[in-house]
Amino acid sequence: MKLRILSFVKRSLATRMSLVTVFFAAIILIAALGYMFNVSRQAIRKEAVDRATNQLENTVLRVTNILDQVEVAANNTAWLINRHLDSPELMFEYSRRILENNPDLNGCSIAFEPNFFPGRGRYFSAYSYNNNGVIETTQEGNEHYEYFYLDWYQLCKLLDRPVWTEPFMDYNPENIYSQDMIASYCQPLKDREGKYIGTLSVDLSLSWLSNTISAVKPYPNSYSIMIGQGGTYFVHPDSTKLVYQTIFTESMEHPDTAMVNLGHAMQRGEEGMRQLKVNGEDCYVFYKPLSTTGWSVAIVCPESDIFGGFNKLRRSVTGTVIGGLLLLMLVCGRFIRHEIKPLTKLARQAETIASGDFSVTLPEEGRTDEIGQLSESFTNMQHSLVNYIEELKTTTAQKASIENELQVASDIQMSMVPRMFPAFPNRNDIDLYASMTPAKEVGGDLYDFFIQDEILHFCVGDVSGKGIPASLFMAVTRNLFRIVAPQGLPPAEIASHINNILAVDNDRGMFVTMFIGKADLRTGHLDYCNCGHNAPVIDGQFLKMQYDNQPLGLWEDDPFYGESIENIKDKQFLLYTDGLNEAENPEKELLGNTRLIALMQDAQDMSARQVVDMLKAVVEEHRAGADPNDDLTLLCLTIKG
Amino acid sequence: MDKEITSFCLRISRSVCVALLFLVSGHRLQAQEKFIFTPQWTAQAQFAGYYVAQEKGFYKEAGLNVEIVHPSLTQPAMKRIQNKESHATTLQLCQAMEIVDGGIELVNILQTSMNNALTIVSRRGVNPLTQKGARVGIWASGASQLAFCVNKKENLGYEWVPFASNVNLFVAGAIDATVAMSYNEYYQLVQTGLPMDEKCVYRLSEHGYNFQEDGLYVTREYYDKHRDQAKKFAQASRKGWEWAAAHPEETLDIVMKYVQDNHIITNKTLQKLMLEEILRLQVDRDSGKREFRLRPDMVKKLNQLLLECNMLKHEVTYEQLIAQ
Repeated sequence: MKLRILSFVKRSLATRMSLVTVFFAAIILIAALGYMFNVSRQAIRKEAVDRATNQLENTVLRVTNILDQVEVAANNTAWLINRHLDSPELMFEYSRRILENNPDLNGCSIAFEPNFFPGRGRYFSAYSYNNNGVIETTQEGNEHYEYFYLDWYQLCKLLDRPVWTEPFMDYNPENIYSQDMIASYCQPLKDREGKYIGTLSVDLSLSWLSNTISAVKPYPNSYSIMIGQGGTYFVHPDSTKLVYQTIFTESMEHPDTAMVNLGHAMQRGEEGMRQLKVNGEDCYVFYKPLSTTGWSVAIVCPESDIFGGFNKLRRSVTGTVIGGLLLLMLVCGRFIRHEIKPLTKLARQAETIASGDFSVTLPEEGRTDEIGQLSESFTNMQHSLVNYIEELKTTTAQKASIENELQVASDIQMSMVPRMFPAFPNRNDIDLYASMTPAKEVGGDLYDFFIQDEILHFCVGDVSGKGIPASLFMAVTRNLFRIVAPQGLPPAEIASHINNILAVDNDRGMFVTMFIGKADLRTGHLDYCNCGHNAPVIDGQFLKMQYDNQPLGLWEDDPFYGESIENIKDKQFLLYTDGLNEAENPEKELLGNTRLIALMQDAQDMSARQVVDMLKAVVEEHRAGADPNDDLTLLCLTIKG
Repeated sequence: MDKEITSFCLRISRSVCVALLFLVSGHRLQAQEKFIFTPQWTAQAQFAGYYVAQEKGFYKEAGLNVEIVHPSLTQPAMKRIQNKESHATTLQLCQAMEIVDGGIELVNILQTSMNNALTIVSRRGVNPLTQKGARVGIWASGASQLAFCVNKKENLGYEWVPFASNVNLFVAGAIDATVAMSYNEYYQLVQTGLPMDEKCVYRLSEHGYNFQEDGLYVTREYYDKHRDQAKKFAQASRKGWEWAAAHPEETLDIVMKYVQDNHIITNKTLQKLMLEEILRLQVDRDSGKREFRLRPDMVKKLNQLLLECNMLKHEVTYEQLIAQ
């Protein structure tokens, strides 16, 4: 599927162009919107922080005022108690009076160390409490209520300073916790020597405090909590957590570092704001300590509340932008597709033309833009193509005709040299084999041989140049050899006659190198004349010659000198053209004379045909696929004794 | 003769009927007689096995009509036992020995704990044993014999601060350290968020003081008279504990029911951790099994320690404690 989409995108210019357009448009929009969203979010966040912080500060201030009143009332009473430590009965009066003067208070205990008042027994705690508007006073200590061990009594004693206890659920007479939560402000009582003698404890119902804190709701779904010094929830919208759980309880089973850190910060009495997940929801928590109580109040604001409107706006803007970009892509795609439609037609018709149908008519769009110009150029190109193809057809036909003629010429040329082997089937004393391979259809090499009166006449020649001119010159030379040689002249004379005929009217300056030999088959005596031709190889060595005559056809009447070998019987005699030793490979390296001699020394026991075939194969191998650079003619002869 | 025979027959059948009526009514009376069990503390997972036995009907299956009555401020468990308001209670082994030493004969009908849970936890981030002369919180209600012994044996010179609840004193820094049960107060302290490094926790069980704790006790007097009932109660309770170990999730739900019915200030997390720890403490370290038996070697060793520390006047032998 992915590949198909990629392939479609690659094939469709319109899709690619619209994608690029939308891509850049999207980048610009994302950058602009991202900046705008970021700035807006910061502004909203700052507003939320200010709002929540203000509300939190106001609430803490109101609660602190009440707590301060309690502390002042307790301090005043402590002063009175210290002045009347000799009158236990007055303690009941003081505990009652503090409630009468401070209707917000729930109870007051003036409790003393065991056996403090002589004759009053182990327990003495003057306790007054507000019983639905009626103040009751009693001595509350007994063996079942050993107040010495309770927090409100012990904390200030051990810490040696006034303290607020952790809020706690009050007991009702049936030993059942009531829903009324109280906290006690406790002050150590000391005698004149400064020795601890007991504790003054005033109880404050936290209903008002709880309601005040719970009412703080800067956002619809925000809520307030209050924790004690031990992390216990004393205000929380979830009543199942109230008193029963601490801010750390859930972390004991499911570690939540952020919540634990918040709890610790609140316990340390820090003030601040944190961002964390509460019950899986991203929230901002603003917290502040509550006076000197060791308690801490926090407002939990779900991020969705703070950024609710902003998120809605962001979603709708993002949706609109995405929709707009899609629409842009669609419109762009359609527009570009419409604009380049002629190109599609053009491409289709170009394919038709490419398939050989030049009759198609290109569309006339009447456009003057680049596409119109392209269409016009294409039309011109079509016309040119049609003309060119016509010319090409003619040329091809002509070429085919020439090639045919050349083939005929080649056949004729090949038929001019003896091609029937063995050349002398009735004679066992002559092993002769020859081969001529033109580099083109026709070549300028030649060879010939015939026997007349037990004399073997033979020659190998190489016309300067290649192709048709050389082939015509070769034909003339061969015919001259056939005419002159049978006249019984020595090879130098034959060469001289042929030279004089060829040199006449030789305006183009063509020439032919030639080796002309006459071997007496009876005696093995060889007369020869070498006219500028390659030195033959005899028994694996180049034939050392005294004279190096000029090639034939250059200068009229110049003398030619012949030489002879006493007996060539049983000697392997190789004549060749430079298509052998100067054969080139693709790197333009020649086969070379050295290699030729080495080959011939290894070919002493071969027949004439084997030698010729071997040398042709060597040349083929040396060329390694390169076109032949010259005609190749080989003639190998051994006269057996 | 016929009259005599008829009269004899009538008498016989009347006697059989009376005997049958007596048997039936006697069985009913026995079935309806309540067996009151009072654990030594308020409802919590420490007593999960007993709640399970009650809720799963193991007591009923044993032919017992058990009622679980928790202690109150005015009615502590031992007071109810002494007043014969309750028939069985749970006690730590050293508490039971102290009570027997005091003259009240008790019989251990089922030993649930095989390990000691007592710890001393430091508030100052150090090993409590290095805090010589420190203020250390201790239960005002008792059960602190071993802590006193450690104080003496290790020459710590602690200043003991009896408390009703140690959490707030500890958090406020009013005490330097406190005793805590590894299944209860320890987790309450962890719940306050205080960093609870293992080096601050001295576990008695890891330092040569691994003595058994909770067991199920009845008075010797009750045991001698109602041996069968006591045994049935012990067996059904053991079944309850075994079921609790096999089904901790359901057990926790049962515990939470009791916790809520008794308005206990706790939460499911604390009770879950408590149940896990209690069940762990029931596995004997040597055998790796829940043995549910008092170990004579532990009783002997504990005797030695308590006598050395003047916690006992006389040795309380294994034979004195077990149901013979």
